[in-house]
Amino acid sequence: MSLYLATLIKADMPDGRYMSEKAWLYVPFFAFVVLVSAVILLLPYDTVYVRDEVYLYLFLVTVVVCTAVFLLGTLYNMLLWMHGKGLVTTPERRLLRLSAKALRLLFSRAFAKAIAVFVRDSLYISKLRKLSATRWFMHVMILGGFLMMFALDLIVTLSLDILRYGPMIDEGGWAKLWIRDVGFEVAGAMMLVGLSIAAVRRFGLKPKIVRTELPDAASILFLFAVVAGGFVLEGMGIAGAIPGHQENVEYSFLGYALSSIMPASSGDLYDEAWLVHGVMSALLIAYIPFSKLFHMIVTPIAVELEGLLGDKGAVP
Amino acid sequence: MKRRLDISSLNVRALMSYDACMRCGECTETCPTGGEAQDVEIVTPRGKILCLREFIRRQYGIKARLFGPKTIADEDLRELSERAYECTICGQCKTVCPAGLDTIDMWENMREFLVVNGLGPLPAHEPLVKSIENYDNPWMQPRTQRSRWSKRLGKEVTVGDSLNQPHEILYFVGCTAAYDPNIRAMAENTARVLAHAGADFGTLGNDEGCCGSTMMRTGLSEAAEGMVLKNIERFEQASPSVVVTSCAGCYKTLRQDYPRYGRLPAPVVHIAEFVGGLIDSGKVSPVVRVDKTVSFHDPCHLGRHVGLYDAPRRIIESIPGARLVEMERSRENARCCGAGGGVKTAFPKLADDISGMRVADADEVGCEVLTTSCPFCYQSLKSAIASRGSEMEMVDLMELLWRSLQTPR
Repeated sequence: MSLYLATLIKADMPDGRYMSEKAWLYVPFFAFVVLVSAVILLLPYDTVYVRDEVYLYLFLVTVVVCTAVFLLGTLYNMLLWMHGKGLVTTPERRLLRLSAKALRLLFSRAFAKAIAVFVRDSLYISKLRKLSATRWFMHVMILGGFLMMFALDLIVTLSLDILRYGPMIDEGGWAKLWIRDVGFEVAGAMMLVGLSIAAVRRFGLKPKIVRTELPDAASILFLFAVVAGGFVLEGMGIAGAIPGHQENVEYSFLGYALSSIMPASSGDLYDEAWLVHGVMSALLIAYIPFSKLFHMIVTPIAVELEGLLGDKGAVP
Repeated sequence: MKRRLDISSLNVRALMSYDACMRCGECTETCPTGGEAQDVEIVTPRGKILCLREFIRRQYGIKARLFGPKTIADEDLRELSERAYECTICGQCKTVCPAGLDTIDMWENMREFLVVNGLGPLPAHEPLVKSIENYDNPWMQPRTQRSRWSKRLGKEVTVGDSLNQPHEILYFVGCTAAYDPNIRAMAENTARVLAHAGADFGTLGNDEGCCGSTMMRTGLSEAAEGMVLKNIERFEQASPSVVVTSCAGCYKTLRQDYPRYGRLPAPVVHIAEFVGGLIDSGKVSPVVRVDKTVSFHDPCHLGRHVGLYDAPRRIIESIPGARLVEMERSRENARCCGAGGGVKTAFPKLADDISGMRVADADEVGCEVLTTSCPFCYQSLKSAIASRGSEMEMVDLMELLWRSLQTPR
């Protein structure tokens, strides 16, 4: 006899509240997706380096789709958690209640404490440092670089497309040189160093504790391709002396180094390379909720949940 | 009609933790059952997490939402269940997990899930469970024999009846020390030490019930509720100032699990903590020399589960002549004895292999007396010492202290 017979989940017929509970979650969620998409599509993008507008639109459409996939994937993962102990209504209703509680927590003392613990346990990963300095360094490089790049992206987009901040736009502006050029190079280099250590360890040294399956290999290789692709793209731009890559190019130190081994004709393929890099970056974002990379979002929440909500796993 | 695994017994936090696992494998190396004793991935914390996560995803993940849940083969579910019960829930994985996941909570919760889905506990656990349900102890002993251990005490030790007359201290003896003839000395020596200190203590006598630890560790938390509430009622009736336990398992259960069911009328302390305080205040002064090299084995329920490490060591250090030597893996990294989580009952060979490794740890540092403060650790380490032919002596912490408290003849 099948084990499932004992574990039959009641196939309750949805009552009158069923759809309204779903609507309370999905209407604001999709409104948020539309809002994010609108922001992405409506920004002016005057300062992007790609010359062919078709490529820009292709990229923007991909970003919109990938962002929606990322948000939906994250939502579905969260809905799965909501099936856990203590569910009295629907997972959707429970997620709504939890979201409301999380919003209130944003302005509480518990949140400030949680941030401190988050920095120590999730960003600095103090525990891993005690276990292995190499693995700690590797993780800090990857995560630190990723977060730095994310923060720089936000700052640069805001300064370029909304604030129209001169020093971020001008070729010789301090912000252009130190944030757009050096900042991104440092963030990318950090990730590259961390990913190289991870790749050597996982595919070369193969210590016993490492279990390499498709999700493990895919995460490293995907990240590596995106980051390394960024440097190659930068090198192509400098080698081809395309607009925006003609002055003070040494500030993009890794791209500049790569440009020395690239022919000037590589600049002809800059737009295509830009699109490939952009699409891959967007796909990486979409891939997060379905990959092991999702741990960077959920681990801090799982660890902090008790501190934020009190009782173990007691979700309203 | 679609039939699915019931995941409503899994904590939200545990469900999140399955996604939060970084798959780093840090836990696999030091896992006593999956890593050290067997080297079988699915028994390791990472193995269990990835396996159950995959099952849940197949039935509740995005693909399942879009295309319907996939069936999981019964043999795969049975394998996960058997392997999950091979875990001693020692908590070594919690110590090393870089993500800081509360794996102890996850494993206990995973067993609740297995029970709800008709996959646990294992047939080997059934006699224990039935005995607890019928006799209020796992050893199939009548309730009327529970306080028999105290009959062997001399006249100088009076064990009060806390239900008839209030006593400041309520000594919660625990089933194993009360019934097992090989462990009874643990209860006797605890009573002797308390009497020596002039403590006003009593027990619940034959009315003491099983603390429910065995039920909770095997996933039968709901069935344990009645036992817990009954014990809390008796505690209220006895109204002590403090509840003292000599069993690490009872201690963890009373201290960490009982508050989930109801409010305890008094704080719960382990005997090592309590006596450590008495030594610090000068109410107990070991005088007789015990010229031995002593190692303390940290019981998982006392150490990693509750965080009590210093008190037992303070007691050993207070004994004249005793030289405390730490094993290479001690305190939060202490190797498990192999008996916890129902492993000794369902997988005795596995438990023996692990306890053998722990005795080897002690042998390596030249330990002459191996001491602990848990009846299960005591039992399994003692048998491992015998089977290894080691010269080492296995002594309960209270017995060791009692040796040093008796007036020299």
